[in-house]
Amino acid sequence: MQHPDRRRFLELSAAGLGAAGLSGTLPSAAAAAAPASPFKPEPGASIQLLRWTGFVKNDDVIWAEHTKNFTAQTGVKVEIQELNWPDVTPKAALAAQVGSGPDIVMGWNDDPFIYPDKLLDMSDLAEYMGKTHGGFYDTARAYCYDPDVKRWVALPVGVTGNAVVYRQSWMHQAGFETFPKDFPGFLKLAQGLKKIDHPCGFSLGHAVGDANSWTHLVLWGFGGRQTNPDNSIAINSPETANALEYASELYESMIPGVSGWLDPSNNQAFLAGQCSMTMNGISIWYVAKDQFPAMAPDIYHALPPAGPSKQHSIMNNFTSAYIFKYSKYPQAAKEYLRYMLDEAQAAPWVTGMRGYVTLALKGYAELPIWTSDPKITPYRDSMEVTRFDGYSGRPGRAPAQALTEFVIVDMFADVAVNKMTTKDAMRKAESRLMTIYKHT
Amino acid sequence: MTVRNLRIYAPLALYGIFLLLPFYWMIVTTFKSSAELLNTPNPFLIFHFTLSHITDLLTQTQYGRWFANTLFISVGATVLSVFISYIAAYAIIRLRFPGWQAVSTAIFLAYIVPPAILFIPLATVIIQLHWFDQLWALIPIYATFLVPFCTWLLIGFLKTVPRELEEAARVDGASNVAILWKIIFPIAVPGLISAAIFSFTLSWNEYLYALVYMSSSGNKTVSVGMTTELIRGDVFQWGQLMAGALIGVLPAVLVYFFFVEYYVAGLSGSVKE
Amino acid sequence: MTGGSRLGSRFDSPRVLGYLLIAPAAILLLGLIAYPLIWGVWLSMTSATLGDTGAFVGLHNYAVILADPVFRGAAMFSVLYTVFAEAGKLALGLALALLLNQSFRGQRSARALMLLPWVAPTVLSALAWLWLLDPQFSAVSWLLVHLHVISRNLDFLGTPATARASLIVVNIWRGLPYFAIGYLAGLQSISKDLYEAAAIDGATGWQAFRRITWPLLAPITTILVAFSSIFTLTDFQLIWTITRGGPTDATQVFTTLAYQRAIVSGQLGEGAAIAISPIVFMIVLAFFVMRSVRER
Repeated sequence: MQHPDRRRFLELSAAGLGAAGLSGTLPSAAAAAAPASPFKPEPGASIQLLRWTGFVKNDDVIWAEHTKNFTAQTGVKVEIQELNWPDVTPKAALAAQVGSGPDIVMGWNDDPFIYPDKLLDMSDLAEYMGKTHGGFYDTARAYCYDPDVKRWVALPVGVTGNAVVYRQSWMHQAGFETFPKDFPGFLKLAQGLKKIDHPCGFSLGHAVGDANSWTHLVLWGFGGRQTNPDNSIAINSPETANALEYASELYESMIPGVSGWLDPSNNQAFLAGQCSMTMNGISIWYVAKDQFPAMAPDIYHALPPAGPSKQHSIMNNFTSAYIFKYSKYPQAAKEYLRYMLDEAQAAPWVTGMRGYVTLALKGYAELPIWTSDPKITPYRDSMEVTRFDGYSGRPGRAPAQALTEFVIVDMFADVAVNKMTTKDAMRKAESRLMTIYKHT
Repeated sequence: MTVRNLRIYAPLALYGIFLLLPFYWMIVTTFKSSAELLNTPNPFLIFHFTLSHITDLLTQTQYGRWFANTLFISVGATVLSVFISYIAAYAIIRLRFPGWQAVSTAIFLAYIVPPAILFIPLATVIIQLHWFDQLWALIPIYATFLVPFCTWLLIGFLKTVPRELEEAARVDGASNVAILWKIIFPIAVPGLISAAIFSFTLSWNEYLYALVYMSSSGNKTVSVGMTTELIRGDVFQWGQLMAGALIGVLPAVLVYFFFVEYYVAGLSGSVKE
Repeated sequence: MTGGSRLGSRFDSPRVLGYLLIAPAAILLLGLIAYPLIWGVWLSMTSATLGDTGAFVGLHNYAVILADPVFRGAAMFSVLYTVFAEAGKLALGLALALLLNQSFRGQRSARALMLLPWVAPTVLSALAWLWLLDPQFSAVSWLLVHLHVISRNLDFLGTPATARASLIVVNIWRGLPYFAIGYLAGLQSISKDLYEAAAIDGATGWQAFRRITWPLLAPITTILVAFSSIFTLTDFQLIWTITRGGPTDATQVFTTLAYQRAIVSGQLGEGAAIAISPIVFMIVLAFFVMRSVRER
């Protein structure tokens, strides 16, 4: 998929970003690179996009600049509204409820399956993008393609990838030359880190991102699952019990207070040098490079080890773009999305964010940013190792509710922190899930 | 130190520490470098002083706009609520029209419906009225939770105004409307100021309605703007957040510093037997 | 100032003028509270979700939440939270008012400064408290450790018991000034002659408080507690910012649970039912207040 001159262009924009710290948008390149788009904006169109506030400042800056270019080229006015990322879903749902609001929403996880009949059919756009950019990852398809009505209800965008972030010098000190490859090794590392008084920390509080990422990793790593493919509840199982016991042992080695950790807590503890290892997006290292340059070289990333189930699987938060049927300018909206996720825009965007978002289109795995620094590379595979929440049932309202109510996280916290027996914790989670899934 | 002084200043100091510690922390965080926040020998002191949080807040965000928006709404909601409450209180407690007791009860009952829940069904109404994303619409919306308390306050206050004044004016041939504005209003000023201060404070601090019913960034209030733009995913811009919080507290503090005596007088009037 | 025309004087009659004067309040409250409230009650009796109108289900949602241990826990904590916080605010607020009622240098500044917690936007001061209660970074822990009162940082928000206690303390912190100012007003309306008479009779300070101050403050106590408990029972922003209802749902209250179920999870009907339930509590409370107010 990479042409030599395109690769050069990407390298140039990456280098330019390194120097200037900002996007290097080249409208001429955009016009030259893309074939004529099948989506023609309506005349006089004006659309509103609701998206999450960028996790890193460059994200918003670059996105806004590309948007300005889009308006200059097509005459379509675009208004961007940004909210803190957990607030996007409720705001979008409210729009769905009242039948008016933003045209496009960049939302999260199960959003499109909560009100699929209020959303525009995105099949033409999704298929076009898939064909021209190397296809979508399976999980992306699971989140956006509705097999019941055989259409795409949203356009996959990507995930905010999580990886294990750790201090290499302390890992060595704890007796590990390389990062452990399996769960027992991982536990031993955690215990070793505690012994040298540099404990690790993984959130067990109501942290929307950080608590879900590692608890699902452990759950799935042992073969446990929330549901079966037919949406029946499968949480109460020996595999889940093993996962719970493992997590409890891990908890004993953690820094105190993780059960009250919200999303920023692990970043802060890590950057203060109090936590040696955690699971997070690339934001910790990003901030360290700016504000803690002495620490940054010691920070390394690794994809977490696979458990007994031998599959790498993490719960990463997945973002997709969906358009409401009430939009007056559907073609303009689609063309905007096509433009923004086209190489000339998407590449500088991902590069400027230093890989914070891993895109759902396989073609973008070849972006030079992923290999520009070996520390960034683990995040390249984030889409590959992501499983959708509520695995292995279908995305929809029920798993969305289970996720936002922290059913899985609380189950782990009940055993580790509240010292509930695994049997009771599983039964409690099972009972809650049965109530939630009955609603569907 | 005399015993009396000790008996006053010692407990006062304890209260002061408890009530003002978070504000001290806000001040320190505003002027402290971000790196120092995470790594410091003493969190109560500043080792690397910086004004960058304040300057960044004022130049790189729309803080000025948010501040102006919040001021506009707070003043507007205050004026509207105090006006509506005053005339309603006067009608209820002075004019004693048929059914005044039921109305009084109903107004009080309106107080017990929490915005944290009402905002969903209320959203549909707001949309129907085409008030969505209209900044001024927050003025009547805020009035809904301000009017009940202000009315109660003013009813209590007006109860204490002697009837002789009115009777004398009536003998002179004054209409009820004239009495409302020319006779009673000046006397009610402490109560009105009380109600105004209360309304201003609650409007200034409101978060949920402003978050849900406004959508463009130009229409954000201070609380909403700061939490939506200074909390990026899992990174809190603590320095700017606290700077904004401090600046955001100033108007209310100024108002209270100059008017606290009125506020107390107004309340004490309305709770007198 | 003679009365105007016939129309003018009709306009001026207590009945007509009365209705006219309460009209703005009535329209406002009927349109923006009563109507949505009724709509909310209706919602609570449907299976509506965000994005789907659902069907009428009668009291089914209420049955569901009553059987839900998380709801029962939230109801229990809501009441607990309110009771303890109100007691704390009352006691500490009254004590502060008694203090501020005396004349001393710096009195005016003290009165204004003491109001700060109530005056600051909740969402922002809650963020400040989040940091002050952080397991790693709390300045409070740091101080206690350095004063050798404790050996390790306190985990304020990590276990159910401590998280609940912490939230109650923060609520007291925020609401204390409201009680203090209210009581200050009440104290100033008590005639000094009563205290002089008591002093002549040889009463101690405590006796004077019990026999004079406290009973005379009863009306304002009722009002302060009534209004404040409504706020506290339906507190949202403080809890949501500091714990989001965690750890393991230990700090869920009516409003956080309703918000989570209705908005975050999209279960409108169920969320509305959770939201409506404390109103029953509050109507009972309001009834008692109205009775006591009328008796005056």
